[in-house]
Amino acid sequence: MKISRAKVYEFLAENGFIIIFIVWCVFLTTVTDSFLKVSNLMTVLRQASIVGIIAIGETLIVLMGAGMDISLAAILGLSGVLVATTIAGGFPVFTGLLAGIFTGGIIGFGNGILVTRVRINGIVVTLGMMYALEGVAFVLTRGQTISSPAMQTLAPLSRGYLGPVPVPVLILFLFYGLAFYLLNYTVFGARAYAIGNNERASWLSGINIDRYRLLAYVFAGLLAGFGGVMQTARMGSATGAMGSEFLFPILTAVILGGVSLSGGKGKILNVLIAAVFLTTINNGLILLNVPIYSQKIISGAILILALSLDRLRNVRS
Amino acid sequence: MTVKLELKKLSKQFPGVKALDQISFSIQTGEIHGLVGENGAGKSTLIKLISGALEPTSGEMALDNRSYRPRSPREALNAGISTIYQERSWLPYRNVMFNIMLGNEPALSGARLDFQNLRSRCEEILRMLGARDIPLSSRAEDLKAGQKQILEIARALVQQSSLLIMDEATAALNNEEQEALFAVIKNLKASGLTILYISHRLEEIFRLADRVTVLRDGKLVRTAAISETTKDQLITDMVGRSLSGAFPQKSQPSARPLLEVKNLSAGKYFRQLSFTVHEGEVMGIAGLAGSGKEELGLALFGAFPLESGERIMAGKILPPSPEKAIEHGIAYLPDDRKKEGIFLTLSVKRNISLPVLKSLSNVLGHIRRRQEQALAGEWVERLAVKTPGLAELCENLSGGNQQKVSLAKWLASRAKVIILSHPTQEIDVGAKFEFYQLIAELSRSGKGIILISSELPELLGLCHNILVMRDGKMAARLDASKTDAETIMRYALGHEIDVKSSA
Repeated sequence: MKISRAKVYEFLAENGFIIIFIVWCVFLTTVTDSFLKVSNLMTVLRQASIVGIIAIGETLIVLMGAGMDISLAAILGLSGVLVATTIAGGFPVFTGLLAGIFTGGIIGFGNGILVTRVRINGIVVTLGMMYALEGVAFVLTRGQTISSPAMQTLAPLSRGYLGPVPVPVLILFLFYGLAFYLLNYTVFGARAYAIGNNERASWLSGINIDRYRLLAYVFAGLLAGFGGVMQTARMGSATGAMGSEFLFPILTAVILGGVSLSGGKGKILNVLIAAVFLTTINNGLILLNVPIYSQKIISGAILILALSLDRLRNVRS
Repeated sequence: MTVKLELKKLSKQFPGVKALDQISFSIQTGEIHGLVGENGAGKSTLIKLISGALEPTSGEMALDNRSYRPRSPREALNAGISTIYQERSWLPYRNVMFNIMLGNEPALSGARLDFQNLRSRCEEILRMLGARDIPLSSRAEDLKAGQKQILEIARALVQQSSLLIMDEATAALNNEEQEALFAVIKNLKASGLTILYISHRLEEIFRLADRVTVLRDGKLVRTAAISETTKDQLITDMVGRSLSGAFPQKSQPSARPLLEVKNLSAGKYFRQLSFTVHEGEVMGIAGLAGSGKEELGLALFGAFPLESGERIMAGKILPPSPEKAIEHGIAYLPDDRKKEGIFLTLSVKRNISLPVLKSLSNVLGHIRRRQEQALAGEWVERLAVKTPGLAELCENLSGGNQQKVSLAKWLASRAKVIILSHPTQEIDVGAKFEFYQLIAELSRSGKGIILISSELPELLGLCHNILVMRDGKMAARLDASKTDAETIMRYALGHEIDVKSSA
């Protein structure tokens, strides 16, 4: 079979970061003793779990050409705060957990309505939402750290193990399994791709585009809410600012994973690999004893290098 | 014969334009009904009304003698009407199966895709269409043009429609693919399907259709049995409008060449075009949609990649860049005014001054506002642009005035050759005639004008010479004073037999 140059470029654009990921792993394995140990690999995966889970929701939105949700990290923050305040307020732990997840879903629904019915650009809507939610989180916590002994009940969600596998890693794989199934084996997935591929053709084929996009925002909100629960469980407490560190890695995982920002194209498992790659960069730099500020420089550089591959697609056209 | 679909006084009003005016005709069950008309005659609007993509302003439709009022494409599909649009409607990155089953994906319980069913139904449909060579797992973007077209027909079959609308189905196909498609269409007809077939290629209409309806300027001219009409008659019906309104007096062009074009070729878009535009000459470029005339306009401006050929101005070969073209005095007015022609959210003043802003500013780039004001004011006055003021944003102007602003910007930059691509599209009649005056004045002042247009009266009324393009080739070069709309249409359609070249 003849392989055209365009195909090679496209393959690199979609999967090229994996090559860099592998090179980086081989490098770490040769120069450090501890990288390839099971315990270290599990640590990497555990660190990747929350970002990875939320990136599923972001992928759905981007895949459907419905813009991009900037507010997911802020949803995580607010939902984490709600989980903590509910539990600290004496409610059952399970109530706190549900409050966190459902808040995420409701906010996602709000985002989706604004995008699909009021027809405001998704990035603009969620940018505004991000600021508002951060504000709410700070008002609720009054700038304090919220924690209570009852929150220990949540701890297994992030610190527990099932055999050698940390619970969050298990959840991560479970969710990606579901997402993979959803996107590749269901009508929903087929139409999600269709909408991103050709919005007009999908509409003309009788697909309710707005409903699908609304659903994507709701899913993303629910997952971000669940991410808030996991993060609160991990820290044993919540603060108004707990979401902000997630903004960058969520978006980066989706872009690095090769999901086309114009929609219709992208593999969910590549997003998982990208999320893991991101944590591997930090993990490796710590193992290499790189000072914290130089770490930022290097991780930024590796990201740009990986993302440059995405440009190959545009170079050819 | 029973009536499949009946249209009763169907009208569609857009802001400022009556796209369809009281259209009434009927499509018989089991026939192939041709629909013809020039660009802008209202064919696309009519299709959209039938397929639920638009709703009529007034009038009614009846499908199988029952009232039919689709409010969305979904409702049209449910009623058994499938449409294959001219615009690409495949999913480029999805495989053949998902393309065919778009919107009808077979599911097991729990919305789980039924892959077995998906595959077998696609295989069956492609076999029915005689297109078993299309690999089911290929991405649509990797298919040939003809195969993509088959995908869309397959999609219509999945929907089990009883009326199929095909809009310029052969536009992107080569001869072989067309033949294959015709065979498919005849099979479909034999199986009892009713087809509304839109094409500007009359030979296709005569090969396929049982009856044909002609639209012109949003009105129905007539519906006729194909056996009772001729190509000549259809062409007359299509272009037969009167040359309404007086066009300005044409001036005498000089013999001095401004822009010489030699052997211009750009892949499938156009091939081996050579001509010269002289001082004071208005050169018209005619042709149907897809003939390559818009691409030629872009290429002359250096904005379309060329395979070979030269554009020469004042003895210099122009490099392929719009920036250089502007430096040499070429201006280009794009057809999509709002997207490419003007900056809607900038002021009238800035729109005009933009190309010459450098000469209006000092070394540090500080804009001399008074000079800018004076320049913009001068052109607004000379072109009689109706605007509340120079600071008004262009988005608040009418279409005709926006078009004047986009022209003013090039006049201010002292362009010598002005390429106009469909300059009077979407502007009202009054503004059109003002624009015609302007073109005549420009040519009197010695500018070379290249007018790309689908409006034949406009070409005949304004141009000295008209190049007719067909499938990327120059079909004819006509002296505008010695030709008529029918002759141009014949060349554009490829029916030039027994018409002598008048150039």
